[in-house]
Amino acid sequence: MSAATYERTFPRPRRSLVPAWALQWWTWLLVVALIVGPYIPLVYASLRDRPLYEAGGVFTLDPYRQLFGDSVFWHAWLNTLGFAALSTVLAVAGGAVVAILCSRADLAGRKLFSRLILLPILLPSLGMVLGWIVVWGPGGYLTSMFSDRLHAPTLAIDTIPGMALVEASRLLPIAFLTCQAALTRADSSLEDAARSAGARPLRVLGSVTIPMLRPAILNAATLIFTLSIAALGIPLLLGTSNNIVFVSSYLYNTWTSASAPDPGSVSAGAVMMLAAATALLLLRNRLLGAEARFVSVGGKSGRQALLRLRGWRWPLAAVLALYLVFTTLVPILGLALMSFVVVLTPLVAPWELLTSAHWNVLLDDPTFRSSIENSAVIAVVGAVATTAFVALATLVAHRSRFPLRKTLPFVMLYPRATPGIIIGIGFFWAYLLTGALGDFLRDSIWGIMVAFCVRNLPLAYIVMYPTLARIGEELDRAGRAAGAGWWRTCRTIVLPLLKPAIFASFILLFVEIINDYDPAVFLVRPGTEVMGATMLSQFIQGMVGPVSALAMVQVAITVVVLAIGAKVFRIGATGGEHGA
Amino acid sequence: MPEIRVEGLVKEFGDQRALDDVSFSVEDGELFTLLGPSGCGKSTTLMSIAGFQTPEQGRIAVGEETFFDAARRLAVPAEQRNLGIVFQSYAVWPHMTVFDNLAFPLRVRKLKRDAIRTRVREVLELVEMAQYERRYPHQLSGGQQQRVALARALVYSPAVLLLDEPFSNLDAKLRERARAWVKELQHRLGLTTIFVTHDQDEALSMSDRVAVMSAGEVQQIGAPEDVYRRPANRFVAEFVGRVNLIEGVAAADGGVVVVDVTGSQHRLTVRGADGASGNVTVAVRPEAVTVLPAEDASANGTNTWEADVGTVAFLGDHYEYEVTIGSLALTVQSSRRVEGERVRVHIPPDACTVVG
Ligand SMILES: Nc1ncnc2c1ncn2[C@@H]1O[C@H](COP(=O)(O)OP(=O)(O)OP(=O)(O)O)[C@@H](O)[C@H]1O
Ligand SMILES: [Mg+2]
Repeated sequence: MSAATYERTFPRPRRSLVPAWALQWWTWLLVVALIVGPYIPLVYASLRDRPLYEAGGVFTLDPYRQLFGDSVFWHAWLNTLGFAALSTVLAVAGGAVVAILCSRADLAGRKLFSRLILLPILLPSLGMVLGWIVVWGPGGYLTSMFSDRLHAPTLAIDTIPGMALVEASRLLPIAFLTCQAALTRADSSLEDAARSAGARPLRVLGSVTIPMLRPAILNAATLIFTLSIAALGIPLLLGTSNNIVFVSSYLYNTWTSASAPDPGSVSAGAVMMLAAATALLLLRNRLLGAEARFVSVGGKSGRQALLRLRGWRWPLAAVLALYLVFTTLVPILGLALMSFVVVLTPLVAPWELLTSAHWNVLLDDPTFRSSIENSAVIAVVGAVATTAFVALATLVAHRSRFPLRKTLPFVMLYPRATPGIIIGIGFFWAYLLTGALGDFLRDSIWGIMVAFCVRNLPLAYIVMYPTLARIGEELDRAGRAAGAGWWRTCRTIVLPLLKPAIFASFILLFVEIINDYDPAVFLVRPGTEVMGATMLSQFIQGMVGPVSALAMVQVAITVVVLAIGAKVFRIGATGGEHGA
Repeated sequence: MPEIRVEGLVKEFGDQRALDDVSFSVEDGELFTLLGPSGCGKSTTLMSIAGFQTPEQGRIAVGEETFFDAARRLAVPAEQRNLGIVFQSYAVWPHMTVFDNLAFPLRVRKLKRDAIRTRVREVLELVEMAQYERRYPHQLSGGQQQRVALARALVYSPAVLLLDEPFSNLDAKLRERARAWVKELQHRLGLTTIFVTHDQDEALSMSDRVAVMSAGEVQQIGAPEDVYRRPANRFVAEFVGRVNLIEGVAAADGGVVVVDVTGSQHRLTVRGADGASGNVTVAVRPEAVTVLPAEDASANGTNTWEADVGTVAFLGDHYEYEVTIGSLALTVQSSRRVEGERVRVHIPPDACTVVG
């Protein structure tokens, strides 16, 4: 080719119809409106002398005064903090030990264990609590069996330590993942160096490995503490019999109390919880460098294990297997059994009590049926919409020159720190104040869907960001240089490369949304029920059998979807993202 | 094809100045190189021209068109600048075939399918990659990917080509071939090109002119020979090729400058350094120094001294001597092997440059 044939004039690329800055501004505004929006009416509602739905309210601090004057509320804080602290200690200690066993010792079956240990965080949390109650609760199947038949001591899971144990077993995977990621990332040559210097393996573990884990442990502890403070199902279902009140159940009871509902002080209490959660999030951000927040799981395998367990390889594996059996498998089996028998008791063999009545309720009872249908619709639509929206927002945050882009990561991670019921209360007020749109959302399942999506949106960001960070920026620059605008470059170059993370995010969001419940408890109304909220209210009313069946539906959907996700998209540690 | 004018670029990252008043202009059809050590601001300069960095001050124009003017708050978006860029990582889109990679810029320009097909073929032939058009990037070698990247940058016939260390991922043999090939192509098509590299051999062998940069500042602009033979300062002398630096006190002496070498009795005569005086540093390239046997009587006169031989290394096409003249240590390159522990060395006055 000569200069003459080379040199040809092509039309200049045209500017796209929607300028990139408009798209970016809209995305930013929507993110902020959805995430920050609901807290404004919440704070406002806490400062009015009457509920927002009544006309003529004036500014007042009474709700706060009233709360501060209520000794039950202070007691609820003490209970909550004690519970959260204990849950955190148990979950972090357990998670760190398992992480070390799986990534620094030659534990038998360590690969399998590092998958299985993630299950509790992925399974429906409310369903798991119900399973615990059915099996280990006062009058539970195994409790009766052990104490009545064998006169053996059992767990009292309706006490604060017991509740902390239940919560810790759910959140342990977070500590495990964070520690495992830190161990994988950590330069193992530090340990090798200590060994060459003559230190024995246990010594190395104590003086090199564990200190190396300290940031990860602090990080996981803060997150687990934040999440424990927000627990709602546990105090509602386990605390009531012994009259143990947490802040979340205090707010729930005050709100739903038929005699004297008090939205003002509930909002004030929610604002306090929000303040605590925000403080913890800020603390966590300080503990972590901005970037270290995102961990990639996976890495050097086949390295020789530091710690040779020798004779302990199998016994320790058995202990871990037993732990998983008792905290995860048995509650699920208990639920499954419960859903097929009239009553679950060790006194009569279950096969003599078989019934399909509970499952029939799911089909016949309008509340149960519409819960399943609504949840399915919400989960599919919500997961698709949230994934798409977060993908766009993540691109604005990290692949644009939008002036406010640096605010997006913090804003998008914020709901992770916010208790679900607070998001629920916030949206309740927000819908009330936004006229026709609010009415529409309040009266349909979409209002609940929005709350669920906002609540779970951080996970989508946490899944997508690390993958995006690995897609070299020169790839999109090349697109821009070739003449494509910002959006076209994103659409044709960045998003296709982000596909695996987009699928992983969809799967994870689907599972989380279909199992979510606490944002919905203040939003459901007849016809807009969702599975989790129905389980909670029906269980409180004593419908144990049908609720168990419903929980089994959740478990089955979760397991199937995760299995498909793992197979099709090879999402090895889907739950891996929970660690961030 | 247009010339590129860059005036007074200043770019700061936080409190660090990545570019400090960078100015140069590139002639039509010229291959202009930005040469400098890692972190000196070469990529920042190039990316400012491409529109991916926004400097705080300065102006960038290509031909008639002003791309960037801080004073007027004008910045043409990157996609409107119509420049061809080859990135250090090649940035060949991994999810598209070679054909689609090349077709993309043409699709953006709304060309008809047939026209796209013809043009992509044409340019693939140009880079000798026609038979690979259906392959995906991961099925190509590094050198082939680099050709695809270049073809993609040329397919829409941009006014200007920007190359950011395009050869740094190639092995030594391939790099040499690629240099020759790119240079030939650039020359044949008459492309106005800015080329970024930290490799001085690459810069010297390919460029029409070189700008040597350090810490965000342009140190010297000139033809490769000028930059090599007449470095403007000590940094350029040391960065571009190897050099002996001789410190001393200079004074004019007739038509030449004579430098009293610090710490020795020797007086070094320097030509072409009019006006130098006081404390100076003189740069001498190792290959400019001649080595002769100690007993060679013909070697006598200006800048010819006896020296002790420290080590001699054989490097294939030449020998490298470490010699000392009193306390003055010199590195000398010569194709001649001179035996003996003592030799005579001669430093031609023309080969000396005062660099500071
Ligand atoms: N996005 C950024 N944020 C902060 N500092 C940056 C950024 N990009 C570049 N720098 C800094 O600006 C300086 C110049 O960087 P630049 O990439 O232009 O160097 P370079 O000459 O291309 O180096 P190399 O040969 O390593 O590619 C460096 O000190 C770098 O640390
Ligand atoms: Mg660079």
